Amino acid sequence: MTKYILRRILMMIPVMLGVTLLVFFIISLTPGDAASMILGQEATEESIAELREEMGLNDPTIVQYVRYMGDLFQGDMGNSYATGKTVNSEIAQRFPNTFVLTVSAIFLSVLISIPIGVVSATRQYSIFDNVGMIIALVGISMPSFWTGLLLIIAFSLKLGWFPSGGMEGFISLILPAFTLAIASTASITRTTRSSMLEVIRQDYINTAKAKGVTRNVVIRKHALKNALIPAITVIGLEFGILLGGAVLTETVFSWPGIGRLMVESIQRKDTPMVLGSVIVFALAFSVVNLIIDILYAFIDPRIKSNYS
Amino acid sequence: MSDKLLKIEDLVVQYITDDGIVEAVNGLNITVDRGKTLGLVGETGAGKTTTALSIMRLIPHPPGKIISGGIELDGMDLLALNEQRLEKIRGDVVSMIFQDPMTALNPVITVGDQIAEAIMIHQKVGQAQASQKAREMLEIVGIPGNRSNEYPHQFSGGMKQRVVIAIALSCNPKLLIADEPTTALDVTIQAQVLELMKSLKVKFQMGMVLITHDLGVVAEVCDDVAIMYAGRIVEQGTLEEVFTEVKHPYTEGLFNSIPNIDDRKEKLKPIRGLMSDPYNLPKGCSFCDRCDYAMPVCETEKPPKIYFSDTHFVECHLYRDQQDFKLKGGMK
Ligand SMILES: Nc1ncnc2c1ncn2[C@@H]1O[C@H](COP(=O)(O)OP(=O)(O)O)[C@@H](O)[C@H]1O
Ligand SMILES: [Mg+2]
Repeated sequence: MTKYILRRILMMIPVMLGVTLLVFFIISLTPGDAASMILGQEATEESIAELREEMGLNDPTIVQYVRYMGDLFQGDMGNSYATGKTVNSEIAQRFPNTFVLTVSAIFLSVLISIPIGVVSATRQYSIFDNVGMIIALVGISMPSFWTGLLLIIAFSLKLGWFPSGGMEGFISLILPAFTLAIASTASITRTTRSSMLEVIRQDYINTAKAKGVTRNVVIRKHALKNALIPAITVIGLEFGILLGGAVLTETVFSWPGIGRLMVESIQRKDTPMVLGSVIVFALAFSVVNLIIDILYAFIDPRIKSNYS
Repeated sequence: MSDKLLKIEDLVVQYITDDGIVEAVNGLNITVDRGKTLGLVGETGAGKTTTALSIMRLIPHPPGKIISGGIELDGMDLLALNEQRLEKIRGDVVSMIFQDPMTALNPVITVGDQIAEAIMIHQKVGQAQASQKAREMLEIVGIPGNRSNEYPHQFSGGMKQRVVIAIALSCNPKLLIADEPTTALDVTIQAQVLELMKSLKVKFQMGMVLITHDLGVVAEVCDDVAIMYAGRIVEQGTLEEVFTEVKHPYTEGLFNSIPNIDDRKEKLKPIRGLMSDPYNLPKGCSFCDRCDYAMPVCETEKPPKIYFSDTHFVECHLYRDQQDFKLKGGMK
């Protein structure tokens, strides 16, 4: 198992290389010039040219990339073009906010979706099931910036229950976390339902019933654990989508996280900051996937024995 | 207490599907005496599993439904009991072994826990005691007790079926229903599992319904035989009666389709045709379109039940007017 985890961590390196390479070149293709942006509108042609030379912006993109990666391997992600602060410090300051938001969102959606999925499956085609699945379909179809705006209109402008943005304590976490959770709740619910339907038709469920195990225990103990195996895959995938959603949700709710930092930095063509944010997102996604794979081994003994 | 452990009367079970109604069991009557083994024999689709699940009251609903009839187990009217009472009976009074051992065990629970679960439910003992008993059960079915912490995927097919047997017998049931317990196993393993079941049947003094399509298995294990076709028992008797005085043309067909070891040059005579469409059973005898002895009356009238002894009967028009009618043979 440890060997497996180590191998997986090593496998993250090529992933990160690919991600940074891609983002670096995409940014280099966008119009606009970092040096003139740093110096502002009043700067003279000479001073801009001077700064370009000093920052190495005249070198070929590949040379710039190699230089960037060299620094990155020493733990240095450079300085923001916009503020001059180090990218490291900015990210260290914002990361906890994104962490809190996304982790609460995924917890929320797992907490809601698994029970609904299970009940829907055990009462297939009942009113509960039909209504649940329609809501899930709507939930999947709504983009998070749209849900976010709807929630702001309803719960902060009309009802005044929650703040419409910012980060003042637990109460301001609720709307953005919900917004972020909705889409993933919907698809985790659907997966749980369908894998549960699959599992309750299996022979071992009949074996359990034939032992005299009560209906509830059959569902909770015998069916759910098996149904969770596919559900967990989807939870992992959804976490990736949710990280993407964080970019929009943080912007809508002015949540001071990495997602909003990234949007602002793209607008300012603040390349080091954009790269830094992307790297953090990519790392988070890889780590989540690793955690999911380890979880598998805990739930499914067949996988565990493959590792050892 | 009556000596009848299981008594099924006029049982009718249907699956009501979008494509129509499957008449799976159509007026079935069987009885099993205490400590005796009844072989329920028939080809795929005859309604054997449906009968077994009816006794367990585990017919999937929808689409399945017990339409009418009676099932009496150990003096209890099973069709009148609510789910809670049934849960107390399942695994305790009656147990079932399912056809495919590869899928019958829960892949994420250790075999020990799967056995212990039944013990904890019915014998009101704690985890430790139940686990101890589970290990003993494993030993009884020929698996070292220290393997109780392993998961099903660590066992072979034959071993899995032994575990399934251990689960079924863990609470010492009065009736065991074994649904083709050896069909999915290799031939050599089949013999071992069969031998095990034979000895455990004596050890636990239980009645058994052994479902199979293999007459060899029946000869090996059973006291009585019921031949099932299209949801009805077409012939029933003691092992000796059915094996020496075959009455029903379908039973004869089953015997003729077994390879004869003494005379390997002799051609097999499989029963021609396929079983009637269960969505649309014929008006008369269900077997008549495949029967070499069919008469005009077979197509229009349900065959009568004719007794040759207290225990041996057949449902066939051939014997209505001449009780001593003899089939052409093929039996030696
Ligand atoms: N869940 C089900 N839905 C619809 N038809 C079924 C179902 N289960 C069994 N049947 C039908 O009922 C008939 C009897 O099946 P079964 O009891 O499994 O026979 P056997 O065990 O003798 O092979 C078959 O025609 C089968 O197709
Ligand atoms: Mg069957």
